[in-house]
Amino acid sequence: MALSRRKFVQTVGVGAGAALSSNIWGRGRENSVWSAFEPDLQAVERGMICIASNENPVGPGKAVLDALSKLLEGGATPGRYSGQMGELTSAIASTMKVKPENVILGEGSTQILRSATQVFTSKTKPLVGTIPTYEECSGYAELIGNPVKGVSLDSEFKIDLDKMAAAAKGAGLVFYCNPNNPTATYVGAKATREFLTKMISTSPETTILVDEAYFDYVTNPDHETHIPFALEHPQIIVARTFSKAYGMAGLRQGYAVAHPDTIKKLQDWDRAGGTSTLNVFGMAAATVAIQQGPAFLTNERDRNKAVRDMVAKWFADRGMKATDGQANFMFVNIGTPAKAFREACRAKGVIVARDFPPFEKTHCRITLGTMEEMTKAVAVFGDVLAKKTPAAA
Amino acid sequence: MSVSRRSFLQGFGRTNRSAEFMAARGHEEYVAELLQQGGPQGGRGMRPQLPPGTEIIRISSNENPLGPGKAAIDAILGRFPEANRYPFNSSPLDADLEILLAKLNSGKRDNIVLGVGSQELLRNAVRVYMSPTKHLVETSPTYGNCSGQARQMGWTIKTAPVDAKLKTDLAALLPLVKGAGLVYICNPNNPTGTVVSGQAITDFVAEVRKIAPTAGILIDEAYSDYSDSSFTSMIPLALATPNVIVAKTFSKAYGMAGVRIGFGIGQAEAIKRMSAYRMPYNVNTFGVAAAVASLKDPAHIKEESARNAAVRTFTIKAFADMGYTSTESQGNFIFTDIGKTMTAAAFRDACAAKGVQVGRDFPPLEKQWARTSLGTMAEMQKATEVFRNVLKPATNTTSGKGQ
Repeated sequence: MALSRRKFVQTVGVGAGAALSSNIWGRGRENSVWSAFEPDLQAVERGMICIASNENPVGPGKAVLDALSKLLEGGATPGRYSGQMGELTSAIASTMKVKPENVILGEGSTQILRSATQVFTSKTKPLVGTIPTYEECSGYAELIGNPVKGVSLDSEFKIDLDKMAAAAKGAGLVFYCNPNNPTATYVGAKATREFLTKMISTSPETTILVDEAYFDYVTNPDHETHIPFALEHPQIIVARTFSKAYGMAGLRQGYAVAHPDTIKKLQDWDRAGGTSTLNVFGMAAATVAIQQGPAFLTNERDRNKAVRDMVAKWFADRGMKATDGQANFMFVNIGTPAKAFREACRAKGVIVARDFPPFEKTHCRITLGTMEEMTKAVAVFGDVLAKKTPAAA
Repeated sequence: MSVSRRSFLQGFGRTNRSAEFMAARGHEEYVAELLQQGGPQGGRGMRPQLPPGTEIIRISSNENPLGPGKAAIDAILGRFPEANRYPFNSSPLDADLEILLAKLNSGKRDNIVLGVGSQELLRNAVRVYMSPTKHLVETSPTYGNCSGQARQMGWTIKTAPVDAKLKTDLAALLPLVKGAGLVYICNPNNPTGTVVSGQAITDFVAEVRKIAPTAGILIDEAYSDYSDSSFTSMIPLALATPNVIVAKTFSKAYGMAGVRIGFGIGQAEAIKRMSAYRMPYNVNTFGVAAAVASLKDPAHIKEESARNAAVRTFTIKAFADMGYTSTESQGNFIFTDIGKTMTAAAFRDACAAKGVQVGRDFPPLEKQWARTSLGTMAEMQKATEVFRNVLKPATNTTSGKGQ
């Protein structure tokens, strides 16, 4: 699967005279337009393995790439403001078995997260999230001057549901990132359902944003989307993105599913306050991506799991404990500061993630590249960690 | 200019087709040809040519009818495989676009903020500079993005009408500036198309800074690439003056309205404040690649500007020949006084019935003035026929204009 997808994309674009090097996947696309500005070039050097940003290393499916090619061929009008949002909304609604009025689109899930924070927090109604988690909501709450309450994770680096429920009473918005970024852990569907139900009864004025960005990578048998639950409860929003399993981080498409009343609140803000127009390429790609059928996601989940198992075993064999990773990245106790590890890896051509306080002295987040990339990456990790620590506990 | 672009496009076509068709379909058709040449020959035929009258001429949204240039299209095509990377990991990076824009405008990277079109920048400027007690000042009518955001926030808007030539009346704005949070100038102004001179804006900015030293001054130069020498960019002023920001977009001359990319430029401190509101990873990787490629092809923008100017002259003259005056537009649209015959709404409805979409109402001038975006020359030849029909030459009026 992965192989054929890679082969395909290596040949697409050739007709356009685009010089795609065989090295394109390693991140190092030769870019001739840059020659005149070479000294200032920021782009990552050729051949680097970039496993820092939880991207999908194999990119979009063939159907999506075909659609993008046909888009330009078939009279796409990048010069025009687009009216495609309805089409994408319908495609999402029919795939997820919801109504179009249950769906709102965003520039990645980023826009969803920001809009929800804007709409549901206030000076007196804080944002509540775990520490650490994906920072979009908390960063935005701080930007607009609304309070943020952090809740520490449990000993397994999972969301601590009791602590969360206590902290979230009276909150404006709870950010519930599951699987959690950067810790990769997943709270089972049953426990999440109980938490949400409890929140609705104990703090009905609180909205809970369940971020399922990495949901498609979960292999824990006790997993289930909370989209159906959100339809019944105006307090619940489920955010999704095309940036992860669908491999379209660069195209900036995401969406949320919720009760129509909740969607309307987000829309009212977005219409005047957000980005009312999404880009035509992203919308066309997303429209096809979501309709690829379940086999696409199953294959992508399996591909990722094989890589994850390999890397997890590699660390385990060396006595380094990773969390129960359920995403396309891992959070590993390398027993040494992430910064030193990161810099040493970078010097050997592997880019891993930034610091995630409060665990930056011991833990590193590593995105899962392809099997080939990770085979090379673990060799580098071996080199780097052997020098740093004889045996990490 | 447009001729060379056309013949260039035709060079890629394997079959003979009319120049008109080529020009109307523009780069999309060119891309189709390229893909056909490179891809498997699956008997893929030409897109069926619709019988005349079935394809709507869309001249309502100030879009570029030809789309992006060849360099941009090539860059987008080459981008498909990298769709999986965030813009901060792609090549070029969003940061590379910032560096390139800085370099081309004699600034530094920290003078630039990217936006999802210039729309994001206009909206964020409202949030950065305004507050419940700090109002917006702008002319009326003008582009409604800042005021829309201000209204959403529940903040105050103060406007002064355009002058008799439908130019932004800077002198009339000045008394409104005391206590303002943000002053918005759209130059050339949408929807009136008019330009105020660089000297006038420079003097105005100096006055505003005396009256409201902390106010932001946002100068929207979305249509600048379509302007003649009567227009002067305020980018150097923005780089030299605190809280002055120039917003630009790739949606107009660069032909990328659907790609959603724009930028703001100003002093580092102002840009830092704007960047705080920037949506993370806001620009898509295709947009970054297309923008970079376009910036490296300035000749294309010159050609596009000349092409548009010829269409603009043609269309203004067509209206004049019918007895209707237009403003001195410097954009890719014109603003025409049809008030003696009908309202903008009546004009719009009558044109739509004949397959031509023109601009919406622009209050408070909607009873008299209509905005028409400029399509291709071929489109405008057809569109002006429709206008002639709809407006029924006002021969029985006293106006002798355009004779």
